[in-house]
Amino acid sequence: MLLDHDRLGLPLRLSLATIGAVVVLFLLAPIVFIALLSFGSSPWLIFPPPGWTLQWYREMWADPGWLEAMWHSTRVALVVTALSVGLGFITALALVRGSFKGRALLRGFFITPMVLPVVVLAVALYALCLKVGLTGTFTGFVIGHLVIALPFSVITLTNALEGYDFALEEAAMICGATPWQVKWRVTLPALRLSLFAAGVFSFLVSWDEVVVSIFMATPGMETLPVRIWSALRQDLSPVIAAVSTVLIGITLLFMLIAALFKKDDDHGH
Amino acid sequence: MPTDTMTVPLALPAAAAPPKRRSGFAWLTPALALLALFFVLPVLSLLLRSVTEPQFGLQHYAELIGTWTYAKVLYNTLLVATIVTVVTVVLGFPVAWLMAIVPGRWSRFLMGCLLLSMWTNLLVRTYAWMVLLQRTGFINQTLMKWGLIDEPLALVNNLTGVTIGMSYIMLPFLVLPLHATIKSLDPAILRAAATCGASRWQAFWLVLWPLALPGVASGALMVFVMSLGYFVTPALLGGASHMMLAELIAQLVQSLLNWGLAGAASLVLLCITLGLYALQLKLFPAKGGQHAA
Amino acid sequence: MATDLNPSDPPFLSIRGLRKTYGQSVAIDGVSLDIREGEFMTFLGPSGSGKSTTLYITAGFQDPTEGTVQLAGKSLLNVPPNQRNIGMVFQRYTLFPHLSVAENVAFPLRVRGWDKTQTAERVKAMLKLVHLDQHGDRKPSQLSGGQQQRVAIARALAYNPPVLLMDEPLSALDKQLREEIQFELKRIHHDTGITILYVTHDQEEALRLSDRIAVFNQGRIEQVGTGAELYEHPATRFVAGFIGHSNFLPVKLEKRRGDVADIVLPDGRRLEGAPLRCDAANGSDASLMLRPDRLHLLHDAGTDTPSIPVRVTDLSYLGDTMQVHLATNWHQDIDIRLPLRPGATPDWQVGSMGHLAWVSAHSQVHAAA
Repeated sequence: MLLDHDRLGLPLRLSLATIGAVVVLFLLAPIVFIALLSFGSSPWLIFPPPGWTLQWYREMWADPGWLEAMWHSTRVALVVTALSVGLGFITALALVRGSFKGRALLRGFFITPMVLPVVVLAVALYALCLKVGLTGTFTGFVIGHLVIALPFSVITLTNALEGYDFALEEAAMICGATPWQVKWRVTLPALRLSLFAAGVFSFLVSWDEVVVSIFMATPGMETLPVRIWSALRQDLSPVIAAVSTVLIGITLLFMLIAALFKKDDDHGH
Repeated sequence: MPTDTMTVPLALPAAAAPPKRRSGFAWLTPALALLALFFVLPVLSLLLRSVTEPQFGLQHYAELIGTWTYAKVLYNTLLVATIVTVVTVVLGFPVAWLMAIVPGRWSRFLMGCLLLSMWTNLLVRTYAWMVLLQRTGFINQTLMKWGLIDEPLALVNNLTGVTIGMSYIMLPFLVLPLHATIKSLDPAILRAAATCGASRWQAFWLVLWPLALPGVASGALMVFVMSLGYFVTPALLGGASHMMLAELIAQLVQSLLNWGLAGAASLVLLCITLGLYALQLKLFPAKGGQHAA
Repeated sequence: MATDLNPSDPPFLSIRGLRKTYGQSVAIDGVSLDIREGEFMTFLGPSGSGKSTTLYITAGFQDPTEGTVQLAGKSLLNVPPNQRNIGMVFQRYTLFPHLSVAENVAFPLRVRGWDKTQTAERVKAMLKLVHLDQHGDRKPSQLSGGQQQRVAIARALAYNPPVLLMDEPLSALDKQLREEIQFELKRIHHDTGITILYVTHDQEEALRLSDRIAVFNQGRIEQVGTGAELYEHPATRFVAGFIGHSNFLPVKLEKRRGDVADIVLPDGRRLEGAPLRCDAANGSDASLMLRPDRLHLLHDAGTDTPSIPVRVTDLSYLGDTMQVHLATNWHQDIDIRLPLRPGATPDWQVGSMGHLAWVSAHSQVHAAA
């Protein structure tokens, strides 16, 4: 009966509902709070705000530093996405369809960057990049983000390939297709959704990546999270709230797209 | 009876597996090269420096455990990770339970809140708590307005702030898998417990809790391990005098240029992390520690 | 068996005027039933007929909109399920997966605060009762479906409840296993004398197990009685069709005469004095029920028994009987069973013409479909 909502009995139902409400408040309040403050007129982030304004957004747009950081983040994320999906795809193919020994171990190996504390990787990579002069470069960022994004891509695509019905390819080959044609016209389209998902994960991982970026950055080249980090170490200016709200908006957009895709997937398949 | 002799029932195997390529290993090499060059090698090199710089020996490890400042960092890290784990379990279990049994609309709403929080940028969320918890922040102001305190509480730049912020970040990581575990349980089992005479209390401790425990334990382990190695939130909410392990490593490298000690601290962190993962794999051999219904 | 109790004894388990609605839909509508102590009562009916709802209200997992359930004179309704002291066996075994077989059976005793030695003794006795005394240390996942269900029975009986509720407990098992456990159940019922309420949609199971059967249809009980009563004297067309096999000829009720009626068959023949079992008015449509085992296939028309000309359309050899499909003049398909003696050659073939005859007293006039 403890798993039947209508038979819990009033005290238990009330307690659970209360904790649920408190946690929902706990989860949403900080996000709503920051979004509201970004429109508030107090430079000391007093809540409730004494007045409303768009000045922080104007400051953000006017500051070349913020725009440059966004631009760097986007560029890096796009390249990382392409590389991560491409590398992830061929890696997943090898892991799922190859016949060499130790595949399970290798699968575990590819997941390791995701699982170990990022700071260790960040510091180690920093040491290497210092030596070869890759810090503060586009390449350095891409490599650093790629190492972290690749596991997500590999996991998504190995799962997809494992659930993939090879009979489709056999059917194509019987119809006379060459191996390349089969890959291009059968495998890739069927995996379209998973490739897209791997792409989205990789993009978000790179876009949000903080720790590796902090070490990789120089005053000449920083991604958006690094700039926010530096700003936060100095003071809590409301401009950061404006930047934050933009990021929150992007998250909501992604969630909406994901929800729409899910509905589409339920109907289409 | 008319029979359509042309329709031979196809014995379809579930998702035919592809024939094994002779090797296919070649396709693995690009990714392997990437990880080897930019992951394995740098990390091993860093760890090696812990025993080679500035001279051979385990002095750095002795320093870590022996020096009060560094030992305190280790202690802080373990303390915060433990408290955060406990808080997330205490808050998270009722939420996961609720999510598993309420009607679909509410369940989706709760899930949406968890996902929105989880997917919002980490820095944004940490920043929000920095603002909320500061001396002139909303929480202190409200508490003073209601007359509950006379002086603002020190809620940030200490371990309290770190714990609050980390609990906030870690909560979805516990609730989501735990919710899946509880949802996989058959409600009829709890009805059977009731018919056998168990009160709600007894049914909870003797049946629901033991069956949900694998989900709790694997979620708690994941939260603990993540909390140990976390950098951003403890650095921003903790302040220099309440450092945790990740920030220590960063500072050793950036400010003090003490690569040897940083390597040692990294090795300690890695060992604890890997040890806990090994423990999890041993206790919950199924993938991801899912409860086998 | 408990059928030889004095009918004037107060009912042991009494269900009165039970009604359950969910918004606009009515799950059960005025169910009343008295169950005697020690009786094996089956709720039989198709899915959605209200039998499981009635059981669940008795168990305490649902509250009725109206009506009462009383056990030995005391109302059960405001008592939470864990205090009703009733045993229940569910459709999907529902053994506690994290406990061993012995711990499962001990669970209700542990919850009631029995001491260790008492519990151990009782668990041993219960496992012996269901023939699983060697399996005490196994986990449920290591047992077969039939074994798990027997453990569930042992667990339900461990604390000696006055009533045992069973919700289609054998529907997840294959036919042979089902029959085995049905016999086990009868034995356990005989050994313990416990009152059993059993829900099923399988009429053969109901006939095999029960002292009495309550036939449910669309939220109401159509008839309560022993298997023989229901088979020989079904009160409604639904019961006639649900228990045993039946053929129904669409007829016109010409004239009611007490407890018999004159009817007109679809081909115009009149039959007088068919036993009447419904309230249909003169001139209305009705059905004539004919059980396959009470029909005779003759080469010539019977003179003193009613008969209709038929053509054989299909023959199926079933080992001990021959199932014969016949077509009437009005193109209705009728199915009968002819006993087969070993070695005898059947004297019917597909396409043969014959006459289907029956003794009027073995037919019944029921309401139209």
